[in-house]
Amino acid sequence: MNCFVKGNPDLCIGCRTCMIGCVVAHEGKHIFQVDPDSCSFNPRLHVVKTASLSVPVQCKHCENPACMAACSVGAIYRRDGRVLISEERCIGCKACMEACPFGAITMDTAAGTLQADGSERKIAVKCDLCSNLPGGPACVRVCPTQALELVTKDDLEHSAGQKRARAARAALSLQLQNQKCEV
Amino acid sequence: MSMGIPEIEDASCLLCFGYNGADSHPIVARRIVRGRQKGMKIICVDPRVTETARISDIHMQLKGGSNLALVNAMANVIWKEGLTDDAFIAEHTKGFDDFLKVIEKYTPEYAEKICQVPAETIRQAARMYAVSKPAMILYGMGVCQFSQAVDVVKGLANLALMTGNFGGPSMGIGPVRGQNNVQGACDMGALPNSYPDYQSVTDPAARRKFEEAWGVTLSDKVGCPITHVPHRILHETDEKKKIHAYYIFGEDPAQSDPDLAEVREALDKCDFVIMQDIYMNKTGLHADVILPATAWGEHDGVYTCADRGFQRIRKAVEPEGNVKPDWQIISEISTAMGYPMKYSNTEEIWNEMIALCPDFAGATYEKMEKYGSVQWPCRDKSMEDRGTPYLHKNGIFATKDHKALFYGTDWHPPLELENDEYPMTLSTVREVGHYSVRTMTGNCRMLRNLEDEPGWVQMNPQDCRRLHLSKGELVKILSKRGYCITRCLPTERVKTGATYMTYQWWVGACNELTTAYLDPISNTPEYKYCACRVEKIDDQEWAERHVKELYAQIRTQMGISAEKEARS
Repeated sequence: MNCFVKGNPDLCIGCRTCMIGCVVAHEGKHIFQVDPDSCSFNPRLHVVKTASLSVPVQCKHCENPACMAACSVGAIYRRDGRVLISEERCIGCKACMEACPFGAITMDTAAGTLQADGSERKIAVKCDLCSNLPGGPACVRVCPTQALELVTKDDLEHSAGQKRARAARAALSLQLQNQKCEV
Repeated sequence: MSMGIPEIEDASCLLCFGYNGADSHPIVARRIVRGRQKGMKIICVDPRVTETARISDIHMQLKGGSNLALVNAMANVIWKEGLTDDAFIAEHTKGFDDFLKVIEKYTPEYAEKICQVPAETIRQAARMYAVSKPAMILYGMGVCQFSQAVDVVKGLANLALMTGNFGGPSMGIGPVRGQNNVQGACDMGALPNSYPDYQSVTDPAARRKFEEAWGVTLSDKVGCPITHVPHRILHETDEKKKIHAYYIFGEDPAQSDPDLAEVREALDKCDFVIMQDIYMNKTGLHADVILPATAWGEHDGVYTCADRGFQRIRKAVEPEGNVKPDWQIISEISTAMGYPMKYSNTEEIWNEMIALCPDFAGATYEKMEKYGSVQWPCRDKSMEDRGTPYLHKNGIFATKDHKALFYGTDWHPPLELENDEYPMTLSTVREVGHYSVRTMTGNCRMLRNLEDEPGWVQMNPQDCRRLHLSKGELVKILSKRGYCITRCLPTERVKTGATYMTYQWWVGACNELTTAYLDPISNTPEYKYCACRVEKIDDQEWAERHVKELYAQIRTQMGISAEKEARS
């Protein structure tokens, strides 16, 4: 089962540190040294604020990814419990962006690569769970209120197990009530 | 603050009044979130849906400028419903009966008309605050930046007094300060009326002590508050009181003070202006002399946290170029002016200071190193005296007879109200990515990607529809004093008729609009309320170009070039 990062609106204070952490993780430390106009600032998660909600939203690493189905060049693939986009294969058709039900895919310029006509090459990007970083996703690590967590297969199974236990207890008490009614 | 910041999360109830922790102090906001997770009740009083409002039990979305009516109404409910701590009031306070005479008329129904908060909600909030122990109050600039500010602070203290919420951990009232090290600046006597440790300049004994220590004669007159300076330059007729020279450091009044047109006029008409800062800023454009200083991370020192905690700051990198630490610049200026001042490090300065300040006497560098933070009062040098996490222990207050004083006043409206020409209100606020004026964070190029010139004006979607405005559109916002251009941000988190802008942008400078009406005691301006009007700009292409030009113009005036920036 794939992992994903989940935001908790009860803890989020909308500070967007996760977005900065994401950019630093993907652009490398050099972004603090170069001209800001020359590098790309494209966080792969976005803090959404509504009247009563603040929470970061990002790729769910679906088991049956709509983005993968929509990709006509096979640029989206699964590896090690995550859904990834191949920078080399992506042709920038935006089909995945339209297909994603979470708005988790954005377009970004591919660093250092130009197209044959000299223009900047644009590709689809999204959360890759910081696959190249030790210590796991940067957003989880930088959040000042621990509002983000990496949800793994074990976490989901543990939580489902607890819910099953609760449901079982509820069923039992319901049965007891019914018995009482019959008496 | 009467309590320590770490105590916040253990309160049983938090009354968060005009304080938006998530944007102003994310690290304090973390304590509020953690408290919530531990089951703390939260009552939030704010005209906007802040992050704290979102997770609160009761959010009183009051009309801006009605603070004292609401506070008095809460006191009224606590009294009428018999929720007061009578033993505490009898033993530790004075003036309760006079106070009751003032709050008598502030029934929730009376306050509802002023505050636009349902009477029943006020009742519920008052009950929740009064029956929870310990209950804590945090307040921010939403209290202090009104022409009626000190009265509201005292009003909040009344609530804590009448419910016995002083003298123990996780209770009391906490001003969560507007700027980094405001507490430290006040502690060190950077106030017109006091020496370090709040020793009054009009107290002959205190004055004599400092005169002997420094070998000089000192004035017995209270100085000039910063917000009076423009008047004292421009309109003062008494030549003795007129200001001719203005030495400004770590402050950007041409960006942060109200009614910027007046500030600029004052700076230009002042005979001599010195600006000492870490980067060029708006004030620097009007200065005769600029003294470049080191930034945080380039020097040592001590900051005081809002909760009275002294903390060491340490040099992380060697400064480059012709910059010097502020204390060295001050020493050299003083020496040049005929009073030789020589220190070899900040600890020497610190030791001189604490030797003259009874409440700080025990807060040595050694202790700060060992414990991380030492909260004053800390009067003994022995390592056992670790300072004072919360004040007024056992209800013993810092007055002569150790009793706290109730203080009741009537509410009055803000001084510039909405009118036909300017039908909306403007309040200045903060955003998390930028600190204060943009002297520091505006130079962090990474942050430009999250928010950039000319900033935003937050408006209710209904108002936007009425004015045919959509998100991101450039708009003109005007008051009696001036105007600026900024972007429209429709959000349901604000009420109709009210607008909010952050004050750091050079182009979208909302202080062009704000009023210089002051609280009579604190001399803090009414940044949170003035009348304004928002106008649609039909030619958006022109507006976009115009904003770019304005920004480029300011940068050129300041001598900033993209090439230089990339190298720095």
